[in-house]
Amino acid sequence: MAIAQPTAGVRPSRWQQMWKSVAIIFESRVATVGLAMVLFWLLIGFISLVWTPHEPNASDFIQNLPPNGTNWLGTDHLGRDITSRLMQGTQVILLKTRLPGDSEISIPGGVAIWGVIGSLVLGVTLGLNAGYRGGWWDQIIMQILDALIAFPRIVLYLVVIAALGQGDMVVILAITITGAPGVARLARSLAMDIKTRDYIRAAETRGESVRYIMFREILPNARGPLLVDAMLRVGYAIFAIGTLGFLGIGLPPPDPDWGNMVNEARRNIFSNQTAVIWPSLAIATLVIGLNLFADGLREELTRYQK
Amino acid sequence: MARFLIRSIISTIVTMLLVSMALFFLLEVGSGDITVKILGVFSTPEQRASYRSQLGLDAPAWQRYVDWLAGNDWRVKSRVGYPLVTIPNKESGEAEWWADVEGQPTRWKLEEGQLLALKRQGDGSTTEQIVSGDWQTDESGAEFFWGVDTKNNAVKWMRGEGAEVWVLTKAGLRKEGDGPQTYIPLRKGLLRGDAGESLQFGRPVSATLWSRVRNTAVLAGVAFIIVMPLALFLGIIAGINEGKLLDRIISIGGLGATATPEFVTGIFLILIFGIWLKWLPAVAIFTSANAIFENPLLLALPVMTLTAVELGYIARMTRASMVEVMDSAYIRTAIIKGMPYRRVVVRHAIRNALMAPITIIMLHVNWLIGGLVVVEVIFGYPGLGKYIYDAAIFGDFNAVEAAAMVTVTIAIATRLIGDLAYTLLNPRIRYA
Amino acid sequence: MKKNIISREQMEEVHPQIPKAYDQFTQGRISRREFIRMATLLGMSASLAVACGGGEEPAAEPAAAPDTGGEEAAAPTGGIKRGGTWTGSMNLQLLDHPARLSWVEGANIVRQIGEYLTETGPDNITRPYLLEKWEASADVKTWDLFLRKGIKFNNGDELTADDVLFTFGEWLNPDVGSSMLGLLSYLKGMESVEKVDDYHIRLHLETANIGVPEHLFHYPAIVLHRDFEGDIIKQPVGTGAFTLEEYAEGERAVFKRREDYWRMGEDGKPLPYLDELIYVSTDKDAGVAALQSGQVDTLYDPRPSDFQALKDVPGLVVRPVSTAQCLVLRMRVDLEPWDDNRVRTALKMCQDRPKILQLAYFGEGDLSIDAHMAPVHPAYCEKDIPKYDPEGAKALLEEYAAEKGIELPLKVTLATKNDQAEPEIAQALKEQAAAGGFDISLDITDPAGYWDRWTEVDLGITSWTHRPLATMVLPLAYIEEAIGAWNETRWFDDEFTTLLREAEATLDVEARRAIMCKLEDIMQERGPIGNAFWKSIWNITHERFQNVKAHPTAYDLLYDVWIDE
Repeated sequence: MAIAQPTAGVRPSRWQQMWKSVAIIFESRVATVGLAMVLFWLLIGFISLVWTPHEPNASDFIQNLPPNGTNWLGTDHLGRDITSRLMQGTQVILLKTRLPGDSEISIPGGVAIWGVIGSLVLGVTLGLNAGYRGGWWDQIIMQILDALIAFPRIVLYLVVIAALGQGDMVVILAITITGAPGVARLARSLAMDIKTRDYIRAAETRGESVRYIMFREILPNARGPLLVDAMLRVGYAIFAIGTLGFLGIGLPPPDPDWGNMVNEARRNIFSNQTAVIWPSLAIATLVIGLNLFADGLREELTRYQK
Repeated sequence: MARFLIRSIISTIVTMLLVSMALFFLLEVGSGDITVKILGVFSTPEQRASYRSQLGLDAPAWQRYVDWLAGNDWRVKSRVGYPLVTIPNKESGEAEWWADVEGQPTRWKLEEGQLLALKRQGDGSTTEQIVSGDWQTDESGAEFFWGVDTKNNAVKWMRGEGAEVWVLTKAGLRKEGDGPQTYIPLRKGLLRGDAGESLQFGRPVSATLWSRVRNTAVLAGVAFIIVMPLALFLGIIAGINEGKLLDRIISIGGLGATATPEFVTGIFLILIFGIWLKWLPAVAIFTSANAIFENPLLLALPVMTLTAVELGYIARMTRASMVEVMDSAYIRTAIIKGMPYRRVVVRHAIRNALMAPITIIMLHVNWLIGGLVVVEVIFGYPGLGKYIYDAAIFGDFNAVEAAAMVTVTIAIATRLIGDLAYTLLNPRIRYA
Repeated sequence: MKKNIISREQMEEVHPQIPKAYDQFTQGRISRREFIRMATLLGMSASLAVACGGGEEPAAEPAAAPDTGGEEAAAPTGGIKRGGTWTGSMNLQLLDHPARLSWVEGANIVRQIGEYLTETGPDNITRPYLLEKWEASADVKTWDLFLRKGIKFNNGDELTADDVLFTFGEWLNPDVGSSMLGLLSYLKGMESVEKVDDYHIRLHLETANIGVPEHLFHYPAIVLHRDFEGDIIKQPVGTGAFTLEEYAEGERAVFKRREDYWRMGEDGKPLPYLDELIYVSTDKDAGVAALQSGQVDTLYDPRPSDFQALKDVPGLVVRPVSTAQCLVLRMRVDLEPWDDNRVRTALKMCQDRPKILQLAYFGEGDLSIDAHMAPVHPAYCEKDIPKYDPEGAKALLEEYAAEKGIELPLKVTLATKNDQAEPEIAQALKEQAAAGGFDISLDITDPAGYWDRWTEVDLGITSWTHRPLATMVLPLAYIEEAIGAWNETRWFDDEFTTLLREAEATLDVEARRAIMCKLEDIMQERGPIGNAFWKSIWNITHERFQNVKAHPTAYDLLYDVWIDE
């Protein structure tokens, strides 16, 4: 626990700490490759905010063109440029969330990101309470989590969407609900482990409040594994958004959504196979990137901690 | 062990209860006015209100939850004054509710202020009899009667003040006088196998649900039988050859297959094998209810799709577990001791390495069901997953609730079995 | 093929209007199709009318069967083979009372079991079906329907006027909730339906209407058995060529051939030729794949993308047909900004019709004017297709904005459903209208979500099905009485309504066309809809099926289909 455990003496400066955390990544080849894939898509996303080769929603071209000089990845069934749409597709997942009502307003941070943040907040709160307080808290919280975990994920999405309809917020909510139990279990086991440490005892003797101990003492020391887990969850979330989009119940139009692009292209697959391949590849590479990144990071963290 | 078992079972029951509450309240409270969906947008507020009360939607939510889960005949019985029984309809076979008046199945109706008892005869027909003497009087002196109507409701009629109600008949909304004041739609409850009527098809959910569950069980079963040995085998091979080319191929291939959404795999399998090569049926066309048994090839592409997704995941799990075991002290010791490598692997490593994947697989059933939804939708396979999907799209709550409960039950049951299997397989674990 | 010569006297005998129409036809003022339609409308038998029309009498026409018209009628004689199974992919929903049908898929199920009094063929000509013939009085207010004799229901009962009267009773009973009630608004309940004898029914219309034969083929208009109780699945009794074996919602429907069907095949034995029909309920995407891999033989109402996928598949025959099906861009004239005709006109001008047709329907359709009258309607009045004119639109909008003191672009929300071609049209329009000063945001939901509110949204794209006469659709949606029902735009116009009533009572095609010209002008000039194109639809069936007909409403007419392996 060399990085996590504060020593009595001088704390390393924030920058040093951060660099140390970042440096771990590059010690693992797997993590580096993963990070590169994720950064690639992030970069694409940011670029698409200011520039795409063509207007993503404009039907400017002939329908179902194969890849060519103007349309690098071809055009879709409406004569829209696939490259541009693919680029903009990263936005709703990673970079922006459209608020309900007027579709003009969006907040930074994509649906997948907010969904995972939601499940982190909810899961960590529940998990820390269960793990640190124990007893009835633990029993009750775990029982509720068990119930949530029992839902097959897609079924829960379907139920939420059947009840609340479509929309960015609904998808975020669905990801939050489905993700929270997993986060909570992890947070609980970490809390149970950490609460036996001396510094927690010390804090208790100091008479710190339960909340202080949970969020100021335990949480910072549990963040490594939680972050790795969150990384994987972003992958799941992207996968889930793709699946929902494919089923026609995901993020609403008009912004391009990879899953929905696959679904629409599927109807035209007989005349144009490539239109299905690109968004599929996008989902797969981003998910693989996040997986590799998380895997590598976890390996390094465990080794580091040993 | 016994204590562990009891604890698991109690916890499972509590979990199921919580799940059912979550489902019920999310769907029934979370969504809007369902009568608009049934009666259409041109229905008037008056019609909707009347229909809401006939569906029993004016009762408080918790009451409806109890009715939905456990039925309400036991609760309503005391009001009607007779035991309530279900008798299958002679023609359609659908269950009908009757009051058991001293062995005589009876229903009632109000016609022009006249209370009629309908007595069911052995051949399924009914005879009518005027029973004006059966009115009861409440504290305020008003005369009322609790009985079972012909539409499977327990109803309360007030004498001389038949309410005007909008009745949804097979042929549309009809305004009728002589209506009851209060409706309690009779149901047996989910626990007793009555999931209510599908809003989409107007037939009992249980009538269609079971054949769907069967179809899905066949699909999932076949996929499971194919995936498991293959995935474990690949995982073990990769684990033994850690870091070598074979491992790389299996690991990267597995990751790629897992990260490729099943809808993409499915689409391309249909395109290649069903349409270009025409080797296999492209989609699951059920020309009869038993089509999968008559033509098992229908299963080929859906199973391949499921395999592609599941295989990578389980193989990766097995590999990780195998690597860990091969790295452990006792295996090293065994090898150093000079035991034949093959024997070490087969006798010691594999057995221990399989422990983790097996429990993970059990937990993984959840995930498999998710995959089934997508696969069934792509292939048009009439299973549970497509059923939930169609019902959710339509907003058919009774169907969604029932089908979701089935999936949750399956998931929880397999988890329980997984826990037990783990306990039995692993002598080092003892539950207090 | 011998040519029938029919004298003017013979024509006159049937109806005094027919010789007049014949003159118009020979002078080239009305088309052959219009003449045949009119002659049959006036009670002339179809084959006689075809003969007058100088056309070839369809070869080997079975004596009892109505003319099926179209190119398919000239099917090879002899060599008809019996037996075999036809499998189709179509979505199957809850089905109970045929009169209440609101979806064509359900009608395709019911149509195999039961039949109609008349039949509008793929050529848009209406002929007698269960009727032997009909006669209309000169003022088009009294209609005599003569029922064919010797037709038996599949329960053995003979079809008589009682069954027809019972069926009319179901249609006209408001409790049943049949859309026939709206169509037959010229009947004043059952007192307008008179049973003359067992095979003769007389309709007394309150207002003249030329559409009676077409109305009788509206898809819920299956003739029911007099003891029908309200659920066709539990009581599958009808006069049709097949009997229902199994119906499972969302799964399948199975039919078996009936032995004692009333129409005779070319081999002199009763139709149908096929032994079995199976409809499998799948979504369209699965259906397309199933059709390509040979698991099913046809697909209900293929979408344009399905057409694209299937058109070159060997072994499949594509039969296109022009229709009056359309996707109207409809504006609520009681809400801002659409209450101002300048805004409506501006949006209409923003339609780049050829491009919309190309994007949404791969060019498979006919360009349209902004009116709900189609070239396939008899008496359609030819008009120029409006050009894409964003500048003109912008000028109008600027004028409107200046008056209202608002800034351009004008922000509006276009609602529609994620179905056949609506998202494509919406998408295309959004782009095209941007140049005209509109800023359209899209609100695209699943079909059910849109149908929940289709009459409520202020700007939307609604799909309308084919109807054989313009006078059938216009009263449904563009008159004051239809507000609260199908008048989704709340638009009505006194001049328009008066002219429409006049058209409904005008038998003479030329005279009616003159009225239609005015009606079309009014709709274009101040109407509530934009309409870029009329859809084509396709029947795509495996080549081994013969006698297959592509119907503009995607009706499956299977009684004389046969398999040539």
